[in-house]
Amino acid sequence: MRLKNKVAVITGGNSGIGFGIAKEFFLEGAQGVIVGRTQETLDSSLAQLGDSFIAIKADVTNQEDLDRVFKQTHEKFGKIDIVVANAGGAATEAKLGSVAEIGEADYDKTMDLNLKSVYFTIHKALPYMNDGGSVVMIGSNAAHIGLPALSLYGGAKAALIAWARGFSLDLLERKIRFNVVSPAAIDTPVFEKFVEPGQVEAVKKQLVQGIPMGRIGQPLDVAKAVVFLGSDESSFVLGTEILVDGGSVNLQPFK
Amino acid sequence: MRLKNKIAVISGGTSGIGLAIAKRFVEEGAEIFIFGRRKDALDEAVRVIGGKVTAIQADASKLKDLDHVTDVVRKAKGKVDILVSNAGFTEQVPLREITEDHYDRTFDLMAKGPLFLTQKMLPLMDSGGSIILVSSAMHYMGLANHSAYAGAKAALRSFVRTWAAEFKGNGIRANLLSPGPFPTAIMEAQANTSEELDALQKYYANFVPMLRLGRVEEAAAAAVFLASDESSFMTGSDVVVDGGISSI
Ligand SMILES: NC(=O)c1ccc[n+]([C@@H]2O[C@H](COP(=O)([O-])OP(=O)(O)OC[C@H]3O[C@@H](n4cnc5c(N)ncnc54)[C@H](OP(=O)(O)O)[C@@H]3O)[C@@H](O)[C@H]2O)c1
Ligand SMILES: NC(=O)c1ccc[n+]([C@@H]2O[C@H](COP(=O)([O-])OP(=O)(O)OC[C@H]3O[C@@H](n4cnc5c(N)ncnc54)[C@H](OP(=O)(O)O)[C@@H]3O)[C@@H](O)[C@H]2O)c1
Repeated sequence: MRLKNKVAVITGGNSGIGFGIAKEFFLEGAQGVIVGRTQETLDSSLAQLGDSFIAIKADVTNQEDLDRVFKQTHEKFGKIDIVVANAGGAATEAKLGSVAEIGEADYDKTMDLNLKSVYFTIHKALPYMNDGGSVVMIGSNAAHIGLPALSLYGGAKAALIAWARGFSLDLLERKIRFNVVSPAAIDTPVFEKFVEPGQVEAVKKQLVQGIPMGRIGQPLDVAKAVVFLGSDESSFVLGTEILVDGGSVNLQPFK
Repeated sequence: MRLKNKIAVISGGTSGIGLAIAKRFVEEGAEIFIFGRRKDALDEAVRVIGGKVTAIQADASKLKDLDHVTDVVRKAKGKVDILVSNAGFTEQVPLREITEDHYDRTFDLMAKGPLFLTQKMLPLMDSGGSIILVSSAMHYMGLANHSAYAGAKAALRSFVRTWAAEFKGNGIRANLLSPGPFPTAIMEAQANTSEELDALQKYYANFVPMLRLGRVEEAAAAAVFLASDESSFMTGSDVVVDGGISSI
């Protein structure tokens, strides 16, 4: 068990990739917290994780909520070793689209969730984190390639790569490592959140066209990389990005 | 055990990073074939690795030797699940002093060798197979006196991208592993005295944001991740194990 006795906070641990990470962390012996806004999925996810995990209902775009998450985690477990900043993707009621269309209101919603919340998740976790801890941010292949309607989101995810480097430098003395895992399309409920009902399968199919391996990814694919980066196995790895993307960023397969 | 019953071939599995990968693969349940040039080093490696290991004396820069390695593996197992191209050396030479001999030896072992090793092993590999080329974080950096070395390592970066694109129908993955500085024989070979070695190791350690050299086990852990099905959605990419030297 590679995460025995580690305490982890996983934002968005109640759905999709985050839940996949939480399950894998549990199997590897970790304890910790899943964070999300929806009580129902927090409860149903927790039911599959066993007693070593708790759920905290919180909005990662809200500063007081973040304060509460880390304070409560520390009170309950006495330490924090790993933070997985995973909550993100489709922000509630945020329109996605071209730079020609997206105005300030939608810009703020997308960036509050995908950029600002990651910064403050980390900023507020640090006082409670152990020296030698590990932070994993979930990026996206959209940081590297143009994807329809995802330019703003891609910019937010690209910033995380710079932060992995900069934050690792900032926290060198405390030996806290920061890295990014960047997935391509992963089969999660996210698509139901921004795609017209009835179009979900078609959109997934279209995205798979851009994945050289010819399949959509699974949350477990991402979770395995996060376990590696979260555990001490990656103790010499910092400021890097691991692409879990079926080759979508690096390969140009001509059909 | 994360590599149970997998068959792995590791070039340069007798020293440093390659030896650490070999040991760890066996611990994870793999059956391995290692090769290198020195008989005594091969014998010693077999002793320290224990378990299911076959050593083959071969030069990874010579195509005939690579044929021999492939034959041995084919006859013994008929298949390969994991290929790690790791054999390498470093000679620091400024551009104006580079000889054709230095250039050829560098590219023969660290670009030509990996390409033909992969070509020869490919018929033994099947869906789920994983190819790992050991490059260097140096392929991202401009470090004086490493033209040929860093150039060959950069070629490997391109190889895995290109091969991954070619392989996409057959389920075989190709990825890079890029280590930062590790205190192995590769550093010893660049120093004439123990004082020089000490100075070189200090120089590199100070260069690394973590202010230390890597431990070979840290490179081996990343190799296990890339070798196993844990990275089954990864191809054409690079895992950098460098204490931040190339990016921070
Ligand atoms: N799926 C993909 O194809 C894909 C590809 C590349 C990158 N990613 C990235 O992977 C991460 C996870 O995405 P996913 O596909 O697993 O999506 P998902 O199934 O929609 O899950 C998103 C998670 O984030 C939580 N969340 C969203 N807004 C939140 C907020 N304001 N406060 C707290 N929690 C919030 C959600 O819980 P509540 O709704 O209950 O709050 C949910 O648990 C995201 O960062 C996404 O950008 C996904
Ligand atoms: N150590 C570092 O700081 C560092 C940093 C970045 C990348 N790397 C890369 O990591 C890999 C391993 O390096 P290391 O540090 O572990 O070096 P090492 O301790 O010197 O080991 C090199 C291995 O390669 C074998 N080898 C050398 N030339 C060979 C040839 N012509 N044919 C077959 N095998 C040969 C050696 O065995 P024989 O001599 O018996 O043939 C030995 O087993 C290399 O590709 C290197 O470029 C190392």
